Amino acid sequence: MKWILFFGALIGLSICGREKFFGDQVFRINVRNGDESSKLSQLVNSDNLKLSFWKSPSIFSRPVDVLVPSVSLQSVRSFLKSQGLEYSVTIEDLQALLDNEDEEMQHNEGQERSSNNFNYGAYHSLEAIYREMDSIARDFPALVSRVKIGHSFENRPMYVLKFSTAEGRRRPAIWLNAGIHSREWISQATAIWTARKIVSDYGKDPALTSILEKMDIFLLPVANPDGYVYTQTQNRLWRKTRSLNPGSACVGADPNRNWNASFAGEGASDNPCSETYHGPHANSEVEVKSVVDFIQGHRNFKCFIDLHSYSQLLMYPYGYTIKKAPDADELDEVARRAAKALASLSGTSYQVGPTCTTVYPASGSSVDWAYDNGIKYAFTFELRDTGHYGFLLPANQIIPTAEETWLGLKTIMEHVRDNLY
Amino acid sequence: MPPAASTPPAPRPGVPRPAALLLALALSLAVPGLRAAGPGPGPGSPGVPGAPPPGLLRQAARAALHFLNFRAGSPSGLRVLAAVLRGRAAVDARRTCRVDLEFTAERYGPEVADGRLGRCSARVVFRHQKPRPAVNVTCTRFMETSRRRREDFLLYKRAKRLRAPLGATSIPDSHGWIDPSLRPIWDLALLGSSYVMWERTTQTLQYYMAQLSSVNQWKTNEDAIDFDYTVLLHEFSTQEIIPCRIHLVWYPGKPLKVKYHCQELHTAQEGSGTEEGSAVAPTQPNNF
Repeated sequence: MKWILFFGALIGLSICGREKFFGDQVFRINVRNGDESSKLSQLVNSDNLKLSFWKSPSIFSRPVDVLVPSVSLQSVRSFLKSQGLEYSVTIEDLQALLDNEDEEMQHNEGQERSSNNFNYGAYHSLEAIYREMDSIARDFPALVSRVKIGHSFENRPMYVLKFSTAEGRRRPAIWLNAGIHSREWISQATAIWTARKIVSDYGKDPALTSILEKMDIFLLPVANPDGYVYTQTQNRLWRKTRSLNPGSACVGADPNRNWNASFAGEGASDNPCSETYHGPHANSEVEVKSVVDFIQGHRNFKCFIDLHSYSQLLMYPYGYTIKKAPDADELDEVARRAAKALASLSGTSYQVGPTCTTVYPASGSSVDWAYDNGIKYAFTFELRDTGHYGFLLPANQIIPTAEETWLGLKTIMEHVRDNLY
Repeated sequence: MPPAASTPPAPRPGVPRPAALLLALALSLAVPGLRAAGPGPGPGSPGVPGAPPPGLLRQAARAALHFLNFRAGSPSGLRVLAAVLRGRAAVDARRTCRVDLEFTAERYGPEVADGRLGRCSARVVFRHQKPRPAVNVTCTRFMETSRRRREDFLLYKRAKRLRAPLGATSIPDSHGWIDPSLRPIWDLALLGSSYVMWERTTQTLQYYMAQLSSVNQWKTNEDAIDFDYTVLLHEFSTQEIIPCRIHLVWYPGKPLKVKYHCQELHTAQEGSGTEEGSAVAPTQPNNF
């Protein structure tokens, strides 16, 4: 389990000074009501035991995680027993866990470093992806910079790569979004491959070079970092963010129902336990808000492409209504050419159409928001496959998928370059 | 994942009312020239009213194939949808939706790249927002019967020799890897799941088998393979992951016996079923 980032983000001031956690445990306490919650808070706030909350209590019933130093174990156990509070030990020795983690990561680091480059044909941890983004930016400083646009609910950075030949001028821009649904691993993997492709081909591929002479490209490979870490550590099929929902034991909202485009309309759920829960209000998810703020602040985006999996579809607005978008004919024509270019590599066949009738109605989606905010060239890719492996796409398909997708992306970007408005 | 509507059966709490797809269907019936993308001629001709939404035709095709796969009882002969060729849909006063369609199917399997397609025609009837569509389907063969029987028997022999990893498992693993020696387990799991997926499919809900999460029992000492497992089904359009416990008994050439129980994680609905492919009286089932 990769707790490092999570751990780093949550440990508060009370234990900042300590470096080792031998024998320390994490208790998960089943707090059932406000009364129990205050009793527990009293305990934690009492100085002598040196406890701290890992998962802060709210006034509503939910499990609460508390870090208990080894010296205080006995006292805490007695207290919980005397108060009739149910609990379980989720981490039996924090130091052992951290040591294990360190070892694993060093081992992985060793593997990637020794082959001298990042293995694009494999799936990677969040840390590895962020390191590779940094590495690309340092290798091509005139072309690329790694920009922090915000942070996730669990306080992980949200990093974007900015590809620009503009030297300060704010050119018309393209936004490439990936990994908003954390279980769709081919999306993040395709995105980081694409980053490397752009820096490799700039100056060599005339089409890409001419695109970058006129426009900037912003690439967000992991739009949902908390979810991604969760798929690696706890549940491979997690989709949503990891935000807490007051009053519910269920975690997270669907970040692709959280945008301000017919928010909470047809095609999203108001149940926090649902996989398509839209969240309490539009942009409630900080991961979504970070992107919205950045794009709105920039004010010159012309294209927004969102990478998902699976189904092999290339779609354009709308999802939230069956009404035809004003630019539907043009978008359809571009999408068909892009799908054809994609298929030219390995014969991978994509269906094309507006979201609503190609699949089903949906509301609060990123591309609908982009389109309604003046970003005409708004597309959703549903990458490989069509259900054989689904989300669990074998790693040996990463590079073939990324390569064919690149042809589709380029077709769209070339059209944008030639049709700036 | 495609941003998609959740328009499931009425009892689910917290979900918008299932008007959207029917509205889409009704509107598309009134809007001429709605074409399906993809290879082959679209359903109906451009400019002719009555072309159903491409999503509905694919829905019907998949339901038909799940049903066909279950009935065929052949883990080597599983088929998946290649492309919809053409189709018509009609909705009656009771909102029963009848879909007539033609489509191509190909053999399921990662190593299969022979591109051979079978051609299928089917009538699929969805009762309004209810699962278990009535299916009438015929497909041309894409493999000679004798070869399919041979492959089933080979799979059977490999299965008999296989010592399955009992308990919680992840097949495929997080990186999409299935150990080749465990392939028979995966194919049989998909065969059993086909029954479940057919039974659960409605106009708006469809399924894929995402992962095998537990092997509860793998008995090969008697003639038939007796396999009790848990599978995670991915449900469109709700995007939910549904754990289903399935118990099947399979012998090559014999109809498949299967029973199952699916968990509904946050709604009141649970679903289970049992079926035999033949008229043989059911043996005493294991209790779970």
